[in-house]
Amino acid sequence: MSEKVLYALTGLFETPDQIIDAAEKTSDGGYKKYDVNTPYPLHGMNQAMKLPPSKLGYAALVFGLSGTVSALALMYWMAVIDYAHVIGGKPYFPLPAFVPVMFEVTVLSAAIATVFTMLFVVFKFPNNSHPLHDTEYMKSVSRDKYGICILAEDEKFDENGTLKFLEELGATNITHQYFTEDSYATWWSVLDKKFAGILAVTAIATSLVVYIGLNKVLYMQPFSWMMEQEKLNPQKGSVLFADGFSMRNPVQGTIARGDLPYEYAVDPEGASKLVNPLPITEANLQLGKVKYDIYCSPCHGFMGEGDSRLRGQFPNPPSLHSEKVRDWTDGRIYHVIAMGQNVMPSYSSQLSRNEKWATILYVRALQRSLNAKESDLQ
Amino acid sequence: MSTVDYSQELSVVEGRPSLRELDDLISKPLESKPDKKFFIAISFTGLMLLTGITALGASFIYGTGLWGNNNPVGWGFPIVNFVFWVGIGHAGTLISAILFLFRQKWRTGIARFAEGMTIFAVITAAMFPLIHTGRPWLPLYLAPYPNQHSIWPNFISPLLWDVFAVSTYFIVSLIFWYVGLIPDLAVLRDKAGTKVKKTIYSIFSLGWRFSNRHWQHYEMMYLILAGFATPLVLSVHTIVSYDFAVSIMPGWHATIFPPYFVAGAVFSGFAMVQNVLIFIRKIFNYEHIITLKVLENMNKIILLTGSLVGYAYAMEFFIAWYSGVQAEQFTFINRAFGPYAWAYWIMISCNVISPQLFWFKKIRTSIPIMFVLGVLVNVGMWFERFVITVTSLSRDYLPSSWAYYTPTITDFGILIGSFGLFFTLLLIFTKTLPVISIAEVKAVVDGAQPTHKDH
Amino acid sequence: MNSTHHSLDYVRKDLPVNFKKIGLILSVVGLILVIAAYYSDPVRSAFNNLVFLMLLTSIGLGAMFLVAIEYIGGAVWSTPFRRIAEFLAAVLILVPIAAIPVYLNLHDLYHWTHTDVVAADKILSSKSPYLNESFMLIRIALFMAIWLIFYKIITGNSKKQDESKDQNLTTKNIKISAIFMPFFALTITFAAIDWMMSLEPHWFSTIYGVYYFSGTVLAGLAAVTFLAVYLNEKGLLVKGLKSDNYYSLGALLFAFTNFWAYIAFSQYMLIWYANLPEETFWYLARWGGNWKFVTLGLLVVHFIVPYFGLLSQPSKMDPKRLKFMSLWILFAHLYDIYWLVMPTFSKESFVFGWIEAGFLSLAVGLILLIFNYKASRENVVAIGDPKLIRGINFRL
Repeated sequence: MSEKVLYALTGLFETPDQIIDAAEKTSDGGYKKYDVNTPYPLHGMNQAMKLPPSKLGYAALVFGLSGTVSALALMYWMAVIDYAHVIGGKPYFPLPAFVPVMFEVTVLSAAIATVFTMLFVVFKFPNNSHPLHDTEYMKSVSRDKYGICILAEDEKFDENGTLKFLEELGATNITHQYFTEDSYATWWSVLDKKFAGILAVTAIATSLVVYIGLNKVLYMQPFSWMMEQEKLNPQKGSVLFADGFSMRNPVQGTIARGDLPYEYAVDPEGASKLVNPLPITEANLQLGKVKYDIYCSPCHGFMGEGDSRLRGQFPNPPSLHSEKVRDWTDGRIYHVIAMGQNVMPSYSSQLSRNEKWATILYVRALQRSLNAKESDLQ
Repeated sequence: MSTVDYSQELSVVEGRPSLRELDDLISKPLESKPDKKFFIAISFTGLMLLTGITALGASFIYGTGLWGNNNPVGWGFPIVNFVFWVGIGHAGTLISAILFLFRQKWRTGIARFAEGMTIFAVITAAMFPLIHTGRPWLPLYLAPYPNQHSIWPNFISPLLWDVFAVSTYFIVSLIFWYVGLIPDLAVLRDKAGTKVKKTIYSIFSLGWRFSNRHWQHYEMMYLILAGFATPLVLSVHTIVSYDFAVSIMPGWHATIFPPYFVAGAVFSGFAMVQNVLIFIRKIFNYEHIITLKVLENMNKIILLTGSLVGYAYAMEFFIAWYSGVQAEQFTFINRAFGPYAWAYWIMISCNVISPQLFWFKKIRTSIPIMFVLGVLVNVGMWFERFVITVTSLSRDYLPSSWAYYTPTITDFGILIGSFGLFFTLLLIFTKTLPVISIAEVKAVVDGAQPTHKDH
Repeated sequence: MNSTHHSLDYVRKDLPVNFKKIGLILSVVGLILVIAAYYSDPVRSAFNNLVFLMLLTSIGLGAMFLVAIEYIGGAVWSTPFRRIAEFLAAVLILVPIAAIPVYLNLHDLYHWTHTDVVAADKILSSKSPYLNESFMLIRIALFMAIWLIFYKIITGNSKKQDESKDQNLTTKNIKISAIFMPFFALTITFAAIDWMMSLEPHWFSTIYGVYYFSGTVLAGLAAVTFLAVYLNEKGLLVKGLKSDNYYSLGALLFAFTNFWAYIAFSQYMLIWYANLPEETFWYLARWGGNWKFVTLGLLVVHFIVPYFGLLSQPSKMDPKRLKFMSLWILFAHLYDIYWLVMPTFSKESFVFGWIEAGFLSLAVGLILLIFNYKASRENVVAIGDPKLIRGINFRL
């Protein structure tokens, strides 16, 4: 045990009027470091103690407004920048619809910040090792007495003089309050066996609960039912068919209705011999334009110059106006559409045969628009 | 005519008890072992809770097909119960924040209890949207966090606003409640008999030492918190009303919904608080703190909010006719005379007609009658949500998809369970924490404040 | 340091001469302009007359509401200022007079009064059991009668109490005020629907009555606040009133500013979100041409400025701030009514000229004159009220 140090002199009063009077005289008497402890807040005490007005309102304002701004910024970034899409015909930035969340976040941050500022910054709580704790003085003022407490560190404090001062005020039960240096919590108090033990137990328990909850419990029924569905996942055997496959091969020598097998899958030069079966009519060109705009333009661009909005994000798609493409036969182009080339995938599942040919007609039209021959002018 | 002397302020606490008596009286339930009546009560509510757990468990295992929800009534009991319970929660914040700002001192004795009820009601309410999603163990998807789907929640949906509103409301109410408890926990700390109790109270009272340098900030903080809680409480039920009113469903899309829902929420919340306080004041001998005057004032607010709700019903009906919109007109005729007319007339008689009896002072101050009327209000307000939710959905724009909604036994099991949860929490609360704010009541006892001086 | 007031220190004095002088000048100038206006542009004048009528109704009815709510709520802080609200409620006497020109010009104002238009319009003809001239006349006459009867009884009892000091009169007024409330709620709603909402007879909003109510209370409260601070500074009220006594006035102004914003936002939000053409056209009309700026201005004038002006605790008690903000809020309410009414008259762009100024001048002048008239004949403080001393001693 280290030595006892005088912390303060305390005295008790019986009525609210007496304590107001005492507080006034103490502050008039030049004491700065003193406190009044009462079981409930007294009207007029702030004036009697000459306390400056509380500044908590500023904390509320600052944190509240930063809540508003961050909520708006958060929603703006999420709904306008990062993942913009139209919902219910509303604009990307529907301000009225953002107001409720902005308001709630404002209130939440202001309320939490005000209370936390008060408790942990202004009061420096938790503080259960304060010298006044567990004293008879504290037990009286927490219930029905009104107490004053003049700190020893006050400049005007002098043990006998202050004692006399309190007596003159009419205080009863005047007591010396002491504290010991080691009763103060310091940063190394966290190494205290009990505290560290509880901390470790809490940490382990929390980790266990979270681990078991997230990794075990949620994989049990009924929580797992969304994962366990009556479908076949890749690499999973079917119990329906003897060979374990879930899909059947078509019967040998048959094709699906409306399907024509493509003979030149591995023979691009062979495909060059194919001739476009479609006549050049407005209807066919129109069909070709529609399909081109849907399936080809995202990479090749509306004009076929390879200047689409995807430029720069992929290996740049080639222009369709190059000499190479212009010199290709329709059949050669058909092959590219049917089988794909380099990063371009096959468009067979999107475009029917006729649609492919119509698209080729349109591509030809595009090519001619940039590289017209003299004969075209006639 | 009257014997009231308006030139004198009425005592908030009758009989001028000493401060020490107040401490002992309020902390008595915490220091004594629960008696037989308590165990009977809690086993009853526990049984109700168990019913709910069973019904919920069955729903989890067999799916929400156990409920009566159908197409088109996708919002059956879960949403009705959600709105009902959120509404019950509103009285607490109203008493602790709005009446505080209006300096209604009679609120002092009942504020703590009503705040507690708010928290429990919000807990109960929050359960329903979760179970209504069908996968209540995935609530995190509602929060805007960078998730593996790499998409964000839909900030344009009022259902998401609800997530923000209800969780904010819960957190702020909890903070409000806890901060109010700190000085009381410090009193209990200094009174505590056993070491365990003392340790617990010391931890939670954070080292409060009744300093006036603290009280000053504390009062300021209380004012600020009340200032924030007031618009918050309005916003919560407003946003709940947006869930309905932003749609184009006839009977839901009415601009009066926000204030009307708030009035209804306060209405039902006050009725619930009044009902429970009638028992509390009797059982714990708090009749001089929660005086008859307090109950009378609460009944006046029930009358006021009940009339506001009646006004909203009337406006809805009138404007539905006035609008000339066929679907709107049909909806309201259908409510009053259609297949759910029984629910509608229960709502009207319990919400609009019976509270009008509170115009009479005799009825306002008669405990048995006010209790019955309070129960009726909550019945009526539950049916109000039922009428709004179910009648509009079951008869929407497309007559071919009309269907009658019949709740199942599981739905009722969950409803009973919600009452069980609420009252069980409430009973535990009465035995673990002071249900009346010790410091606040002390401050309004006659003679507790210094005689007034002008500075 | 002086101790509590136990006795009254009130001497009746006349209002400053300027009060009457300004009132008289504004009234005369206003009246001349109004008459000239009716000669030069009767349609525009009729619309302005409606704005003028609504402004008077707001102030009178708002003040009346404050008187009643003080009795019901048992408030003490407002007792020293209650007589001011009672005097302002006397503006209700002007309402029937202001309404006469509106009735003479019904056809200019209200689309639905043209029988041929109604016959051709299915929706309007379905509304005709409510929206027809004779029923409207009966309704409005009834509303005014209700207002004036309650005004007479409540203020009459209050005045009697100055002499008799009879506490039973307070009890009586509490009961009458309670009875007044349902009447107040219904009359103000339907008056707002009849006079303003039916300017666009196809449009409807269930919250309209509450919206107008929020503005009315603000207007009444702002007028009371301004006069309370002004008269107290001139020493015409009872002695011992401090800035603490103003606090609740400031707080209520702040609260109702927020309430108005809440109601206005709710109405806008629900209509904007549902996006139904039968509702949105009303807002679109207030977004076309340069009305856009008036609409955005409403947000600033009616909410942002008063909100930040009265946010902090000291600003709710500061006499200077209160005087400025209460005048500002009165202006904001006028702006609001103008915004509600005038787009029906001038669809392309907002108008402001000598006609508008004339009606405004007449309104302010008449309110000052009627207040001066009441103040010259009665006590400005309810000296017989048993709650008065408690009210004076009210401290935060």
